[in-house]
Formats: sequence, structure tokens, C-alpha cells
Amino acid sequence: MSAPAAVTLLTLLLPLGPTATAAPAAAAPPDYQIEAVRFRFTRFDQAGLGYQSAAGPSGAAGSQQLTVEEPQVEIIARAGDRLTERIWLPVDVVTAASPDHSRYGKPYDAPLDAVTQASRVNTAGSFDSLSTYRWNRVTDVSFHVAFHIEEPLQSWAMGIGWRRSFAEENTALALSLNQVLDWFDRFDLDGNRHGRAARSTSNLNLALSQVLSPTTIADLSYGGTWQTGTLGNTWSSVLLSDGTRGDERLPRQRLRHALAVRVAQWLPWEGALKLRYRAYVDGWGIRAHTGEADLVQRLFGIVQLRASYRRHTQTQARFFTISADPTGTELRTADSDLGAFVAQTVGGAVSIDLARGGAGAKAVFWRDLHVDIGYERYFRSDHLTIDVTTWGLGFRF
Amino acid sequence: MTPRPARGRLRLAVAALALAAAASSLGAGCAVVPQNRRKRLADPMMQLETDALDAYRRQKLYSTREGAAGGDGAPAGGGCGCQ
Repeated sequence: MSAPAAVTLLTLLLPLGPTATAAPAAAAPPDYQIEAVRFRFTRFDQAGLGYQSAAGPSGAAGSQQLTVEEPQVEIIARAGDRLTERIWLPVDVVTAASPDHSRYGKPYDAPLDAVTQASRVNTAGSFDSLSTYRWNRVTDVSFHVAFHIEEPLQSWAMGIGWRRSFAEENTALALSLNQVLDWFDRFDLDGNRHGRAARSTSNLNLALSQVLSPTTIADLSYGGTWQTGTLGNTWSSVLLSDGTRGDERLPRQRLRHALAVRVAQWLPWEGALKLRYRAYVDGWGIRAHTGEADLVQRLFGIVQLRASYRRHTQTQARFFTISADPTGTELRTADSDLGAFVAQTVGGAVSIDLARGGAGAKAVFWRDLHVDIGYERYFRSDHLTIDVTTWGLGFRF
Repeated sequence: MTPRPARGRLRLAVAALALAAAASSLGAGCAVVPQNRRKRLADPMMQLETDALDAYRRQKLYSTREGAAGGDGAPAGGGCGCQ
């Protein structure tokens, strides 16, 4: 979906707002009310080289150049006083998603070939629905379903969640379980199709949040994920010691653990500082540490400036190689995302929030308007870079 | 980069200790702050979860480019980020 098309979709959705606000003022909540509509458009521009890509000179890393344009729309509605429904439609338009092995050995500036049609432009879309039911004053339960489709892949997801607050809502405990099934085409390195492959992802999350003071809040979370099946995309290649390329071979199972702590501290000059640390370990031998900091400053009551920094370090998978044995049968990958690297992200954003909900407000159908624009640069020690530009627009009714 | 298991274990131990300390802090912070003193915490700037669409585009970047992303929050898998 192009940006103008997405804006058109948003324009079509906006008339829902007056219907919602036209409900008579009564003690009982309306049967159905659109509470918010949000739109976001993001563009990712990636450049760099990776050993899993054959789009380059013989015996060397190939290009990972691609762009992604990503419009998203979110609608939040309330049904009665207990049920909240969130409908979310993200779309990704990706170029050069799968550079072809048959490009290997060709002139570096030869036209891009393709394992699948997805290599030129691949459009991926999802439908995601989250229903949250307020069971009682302190307990919420939620149900989540999603469907994702793109040229070589379909994916189904569902999940359940539970959240309970304690101690006058100073403490909250949350638990969620998710299950994802992916079903996709299996290709060899020359672009030949060999039936279908599948993988399963099961995920458990536990989170505890705690108010520490009138200006400080923190949370601690654990996520465990178990994956089984075909865990690669089937067309990534591995550089062999004789200068040719072979197929990637990954384990069929992977157990992953992540533990994170976050703290938000109010700053007396109308600002906030948010810190996050995450530790990660998995069964493939990857260990990672990630630290993030966000500094937010409010100006003139309606403008917010945000500066952010993130640093991520990870070790490589135990079977990562850039020179595999041509006769070997062992596990192997040259995917730079499974290698050892240090990644940093530096960015900033400006946002404006306008409130129109006062008693003397004119007949404006929206109560709050949010606009933001931001930029981030992601850069890694293996020279991969991604420039991210994003803007968002949101209405609350 | 050559893996350094011993140093990796040390860093993980330090991380575990830091998280344990954080957990202790959470536990020690159980003195109840009444609702009428939580005005600052209710400010949108203080939300630990940013707006969902912004969170998704961040997650998209990291889950498709880092083998150590995923495993928490949203399940990994699906899309073009096949790890």
C-alpha cells in the first residue's frame, strides 16, 4: 500500500468519529464507541553486506540493500463498559527481500535476479485483533488472533492474556501465552520450489510492574520462546572454503529466554527518563545484552522532544561460519544477523498533542489530536546500516 | 569476532545480579503510593509502553535484523524475519 492510499483509507475511517461522539450523555456507556484511530508510516532504508547474500562478487559478502515502506492503521473501540477491541492492520512493502543465489558469480552491477517474485517487491499484510475484557475492578483478560500473508508465507497466531493489579494498583502482574504457526514455500538456492515447510513458535511472557514512588515506576519481565520446524527462510546461502556457495543448515529447534527490566523516572522540568536493560540467551549459543535510554522533554505544554539511544551486543551462533567445509554435513549459517556484532541506534522525534475535550470546546469530532515525526539511524560493527524515518497521526474521540 | 565463553558467563552473571537487584528494588518498593499522588505516573510521557504502532516499527527493525531479538513480548517467527 502506498502512503497516499493509506491516507485515503484513514480519511474513510475518520467519519466514524462523529458517530461515536454523537452518543447521548448518559450514565450508561454506549453500546459501541470508536475510541481512537491511529495511523503510522515508516520507511526503512538498509545498506550493507552479509555473507548469507549471494548478491555480490565471488567469494565475498553480498548486498543486503533493501527498502521497506510500512503503513499501519489501528482502531480502538469500546463495547459497553467492559470490552475493548483493538484492530490493527500493518502492511510491509519490501524490495529485494531474497536476492538469488544464481546472481553469484555474475557482474556486481548485473540486474537483480530472484529466488521468488518477492525479490523485486514483496507486499506483506497482517490482520490483528486484540479483545480485552475487564473481568472485575482489578483483573483483565485478553484474547488475541492474527493472520499474516505474503508471497511465500502464511502465518496464523493466537494468544491469551491475564492481568491483575494489587495494592491499590501499585503492583500489576501479567501473564500471556501465544502460539504462531508459519507455513511457507521451500526453495533451493537456484530458485526451485520443493513443496512447503512449516514452523511453530510457542511463547510465554510474565511481567511484574511496580510503582516505586510518586515519580518512579518499574517493571520486570521474562519471555520464553520455543520454536520448532524449519527455522530459516530456506534460500540463505553459506560461503564455502572452496569459493562456492552451499545451503544453510539450521537446527530444527530453538529455545530462547529474555529477561528485561525497565524504569521510568519523572524529571522536575517536565521531562521523563526511561531506561531499559535486557539479557538474552538461547539454545543456539547466542547471548546478548541490550541497553536503551529515552529522554523526553515537554515544551509549551503540547510539544514533546524525544532523544533515544540503544546499544546491543550479541555473540554468534555456535555454527556460524564464513568458510564452511564443502563436504561437511554439519549445521552452518553465514547469516550476519546470527553473527557477533555490536549495534547502536541513535534517534530523535518531535510530537504535538492537542486536546479539544474541554467543556467549552466547539463541535469538533475529535477530542485529542496527536502528530509526530521521527528519525533513527541503526548501525552495526559489521557495517550494516538502516535509516528509519517515521511519522504518525492519531485521533481520540 | 571470536567468542569468549568465560567472559560471556561473567557478563551473564553480572546481568543476573543486576536483575536480581532490580527485582529486590521492586519488592522493596511495595509501600503503597495513593492514587492522588500518582499524577506524574499517569502522564503519557511516563508510560513504559509507547504507542503500539511505534513499538511495532521498532520491534520490526530489531526482530528482522538481530538473531537475539524476540523471545519476549511478541512471539518470534513469521514475516521475512525468519529467525
